[in-house]
Amino acid sequence: MSAPVLRLKGVNKRFGGVVAANDVDLDLPPGIVTALVGPNGAGKTTLFNLITGNLKPDSGAIELRGRSLADIDPRGAARLGIARSFQDLRLFEQMSVYENVLSVMECSALPWQPGGGAAARARRDKADATLELVGLTRWHDARAIDLGYAEQKFLSLARILVTDASLWLLDEPASGLDPASYDRFVKLVRGRLADGITICLIEHNLDIVQGISDRIAFLDQGTVLAAGEPRAILNDPKLAAIYFGERR
Amino acid sequence: MVGYILNLLILVSISGILAASLNFIIGYAGIYSMAHAAFFGIAAYTGALIALHVSTSLLVAIPAAMAMCAALSLVISLPSLRVRGEYFVVASLGLQMIAFTVFSEWKDVTGGLGGITGVPIATLFGYKLRSLESFLVVSLACLAFVTGVIYVLARTSFGRSLRAIRDNEVAAAAFGKNPTLVKTIAVAISSALCGIAGVLYAFHVSFVNPETFTVDQSVLIMAMIIIGGTGTVFGPILGALIIHLLPAGLTYLTFLPARELASMQQIIYGGAMVLLMIYRPSGIIGRANLKDTWSK
Repeated sequence: MSAPVLRLKGVNKRFGGVVAANDVDLDLPPGIVTALVGPNGAGKTTLFNLITGNLKPDSGAIELRGRSLADIDPRGAARLGIARSFQDLRLFEQMSVYENVLSVMECSALPWQPGGGAAARARRDKADATLELVGLTRWHDARAIDLGYAEQKFLSLARILVTDASLWLLDEPASGLDPASYDRFVKLVRGRLADGITICLIEHNLDIVQGISDRIAFLDQGTVLAAGEPRAILNDPKLAAIYFGERR
Repeated sequence: MVGYILNLLILVSISGILAASLNFIIGYAGIYSMAHAAFFGIAAYTGALIALHVSTSLLVAIPAAMAMCAALSLVISLPSLRVRGEYFVVASLGLQMIAFTVFSEWKDVTGGLGGITGVPIATLFGYKLRSLESFLVVSLACLAFVTGVIYVLARTSFGRSLRAIRDNEVAAAAFGKNPTLVKTIAVAISSALCGIAGVLYAFHVSFVNPETFTVDQSVLIMAMIIIGGTGTVFGPILGALIIHLLPAGLTYLTFLPARELASMQQIIYGGAMVLLMIYRPSGIIGRANLKDTWSK
């Protein structure tokens, strides 16, 4: 098995008396989709926040291709090639669909971007191509806030697609999608694995998890209880009992 | 009468610059500053002192005042823009108070409450802007320049970054943007553009004292933006026009007792703001300018 893209070793995080991450050991192997599954409050989003530097672990180590992320902030994580989406989408709501996508490629704080006119044209073309890919071209000039829910989900995905990130962290990216949109979503996401992208996603819908993921890590109360093939995890009656509300 | 109108238009131009420059951070970046009058004052004093001791050329005074305002803006923006927006409001209010105290008490430099008098006539390319007409042309040119700079900046990657940070700072940072730096630069640009208004004001009235640069002035500039349309190009200018024309217009209502004009003005301002927030929360230009996104 190849070296993991991301490795969490003994990661702990507490919020007062609440254990959000309890001695978490987790590897994300390259080029596959790993799903984080678990009941509400299991600590899945907390793990994303710890990886991207939105939260600092109390102890333990997080490494991206062997490089420690100990002192990383969200901006630094993005520069290292980690892109994330949010459960509540966090679109740039008053900006157009096109600007939402274009803007995530413009990271210089100065009034100009490096690369001059040619780079600017390349960014615009890439934004247009990405909108075409996710089926949002007809909403090009619409404000993000005016989109329907499914379109907003695809805009959230488009912002990830347009980056050069090699590790995607997707927080409930397909929840609420109708079956046709879901199929389109799976195709888009899995289509990028061939480019060497590694994906970790959080999802509650177990049908979606089974359809999209290559590997599952099951969390409960901040602890990784099991990790492995989707079929093995989803057929485990003990994990099913925890997931559906019967406590250990 | 012509002189009165020219004078009014010059003041509208100056206020338009103030409102447009403040709108750059309120409308595009979501940064609410209560210190705009302080930067207006810093620029006015800088302009007045340069005119008295160095040069009467606008090409000297304006860049100097812009640089001074941009540099001093870092005093509040560097520490306070690292945290949530409310802290910047409080920090800017603090700067406004400190600035007023400095204007009033640093008598050796600012002349204290008496201010600085006898600011000489401004020159441009060696030409004395003696007439109101010539000064109005320069003021309008400055307003056009400021509006143009903001219009262009808002449509660059910098403008998009500002709006992205305004809409969702966490997401903007997650995509590699540096919210603190972008906002700090925006505040510096806004303060620098505000500096143009300060210099024009000092030369226009040839007298600078602290009473013009109070927190009330900051609120008035904010009102211009809200009335005209936050985040729009021409809204702040329209707001400045309304704020200046309203008291002027009231003086023509002869049935109003002269001594009640000031209180009538306040009642009309207050009433207009309430009605505006109910019926046009984006300001007079705000909603009308938004693209109907469902029409495509």
